[in-house]
Amino acid sequence: MVTVRLPLTLLLLALAAGLAGVPAAGGATAGRETREAREAREAREVPSGTGTAPAGTVPARAVPPRTAPASRTAPARPACGAPYLVDRRLPNGARWRLCWEMRTIEGLTLTDVAYTPAGGRETSVLRSTALAQIHVPYDSGEPRFHDIGTLGEIAVPLQSADCPGGQRRGQYVCVTTRPRGHAYLKSRFEEPALSAQGHDLAVYSAFQVGWYTYLVEWAFSDDGAITPRVGATGSLSGFTAETGHGWPTGTGGSHVEQSHSHNIFWRLDFDVDGRENDVVEQYDFTGSGTAARTLVRTRFTKETRAVNGRTRWWRVVDTESRNADGHPVSWEINNSASAQYRGPRDEAFTRADLYVSQYRACERLATNNPSPDCAPSVDRYAGSERLTDPVLWVNVSYHHVARDEDADPMPVHWQGFRITPRDVTAENPHLRSRAR
Amino acid sequence: MGRGRTAVALAGMGVLALAGSLLLAAGDQGPQAARSALRPPAPGDPLTGDEIARAGEIASATLRTRMSTGRVELLYVERDDDKAAAHLRRADAYIYDYGTDRLIVRTVDLGRGEVVAESAGRGVRPPPSRTEEARAAELLLADPGHGKRIRAAYAEAAGRPLRSASDLGLRALVYTPRRHGAAAAACRTHRCVRLFARLPDGTWLDTTRIAVDLSAKKIIALEW
Repeated sequence: MVTVRLPLTLLLLALAAGLAGVPAAGGATAGRETREAREAREAREVPSGTGTAPAGTVPARAVPPRTAPASRTAPARPACGAPYLVDRRLPNGARWRLCWEMRTIEGLTLTDVAYTPAGGRETSVLRSTALAQIHVPYDSGEPRFHDIGTLGEIAVPLQSADCPGGQRRGQYVCVTTRPRGHAYLKSRFEEPALSAQGHDLAVYSAFQVGWYTYLVEWAFSDDGAITPRVGATGSLSGFTAETGHGWPTGTGGSHVEQSHSHNIFWRLDFDVDGRENDVVEQYDFTGSGTAARTLVRTRFTKETRAVNGRTRWWRVVDTESRNADGHPVSWEINNSASAQYRGPRDEAFTRADLYVSQYRACERLATNNPSPDCAPSVDRYAGSERLTDPVLWVNVSYHHVARDEDADPMPVHWQGFRITPRDVTAENPHLRSRAR
Repeated sequence: MGRGRTAVALAGMGVLALAGSLLLAAGDQGPQAARSALRPPAPGDPLTGDEIARAGEIASATLRTRMSTGRVELLYVERDDDKAAAHLRRADAYIYDYGTDRLIVRTVDLGRGEVVAESAGRGVRPPPSRTEEARAAELLLADPGHGKRIRAAYAEAAGRPLRSASDLGLRALVYTPRRHGAAAAACRTHRCVRLFARLPDGTWLDTTRIAVDLSAKKIIALEW
């Protein structure tokens, strides 16, 4: 790991002078990063014939003003056809393209996810994303379930009402567009306020695992944000507990429903603007109890296990791809809403909130990985290998203390995290669409 | 864990693929199977039902004898998602060898009609297949104590006697070994599952402290 600490004054100076590609890239660190980038490029060279798609199969798009310059390679066209291709333009002009697949083990899996900002060029974001485990330990210590079985075998058929305003793809997948409230609102002098409404493309399925029904969803917003989330509904297990491990539900004190956690892992194979040049960085802000806060960037050059902090976030940045302002294109990951479950020693996979591992095709699940060629769990994937093609594993915990309101059918409780574009476009993507 | 990887290229295995279609019951294709396509599948499409059946047959070609005795079992076939081979139609066949308690994963190149890679190891815990799920329920019903309890619960919930394990709404998950007593320790190398069973009135049997050891064909009482 390389940690860079920058005094705030230096940072402001760099910003004021317009020198900084990213805030922490200015000043004395610039030379070091250039060397790193060069080393990373050299390490990334792969034998011919192992690329993801034949080069040049997609014509380069015209680049309008104020958008990113053309990348070194054209974005890969999603490699699927109907009904697996989702190609949706949202009302503000933003477009998302991706493929879905109902895999036997992981269930709903999205591949070749690409985003086109309104008026901009298409850029790849994720090569693949799916659930990697749902670990459900109960508060008394037992039982403890690993809920990913063959999810593809237990998808719940969706009715038309389960996919409002959308299209069902086969019986199990819903593709729909829905409002997400204000994209922005700004009052003006002697004029009506400027405002716009935003929309999401949502892709989801439902799975029946024992008592629980899990809604597994990815929302793709018209501002480029992605929200992976899981909603647990269906029924509570009905496990009883001592009062210290549960909450009385039903009439009087006859039943104490045992509290439990849902520790949900997502696997995210980011390929930001192509497979190459992706680097993962961690951002922290020092200065608790002081007036000034200072940005601290840690660049992960090797596989890493990272824990959450209230203001900590990460990003996957393509070191070579820049937006029209000259800033590197990146996607930020924020997991600060997690309950951060930490299990016993034999559940080392619960000891971090974000794992970064070098891509290996056989690393699929966060626990009970079904491949003899790979380690059994995510804490073992994140060893010490040098990162040239990072895969991120996000662990989000929700602690469920049942209420009377959780009576059958149990209301949905959601958990997830946010992936936000950082410097993908050079300005508000909504304003860009207004200007078109 | 005794793992190893051997690349194999067995020319002509595809020819054998015509035989043995009984190895894959209809349910094994699951909902992930792409609908029968009028067009050839695109590289990123899910496997078609035909591709799943072919991959299973190609991967099983050298295992027919052991499969016929139930010693070796094809669990399921998954599209191979290695992005280095994204332009190829490849499938991973998950095969469990109960004789040696090893998982075997064979990667089939559907274009070439042959197995192009194999990995095998002990102590690997892939999710249970539908066939294993049903077998676990049959073992549980065959146990005198559990069988009696389940039949009574079913009769009360359904108002009719239980005819077979398929009357139960079944769901198996792989059992992850912890310190649950001496019998459960065998699950570190054996194939063990947990079972959920739903009754017609929507209630569930209490199976929380039960694991089924499919390798030893035993019911294990989990201790905690």
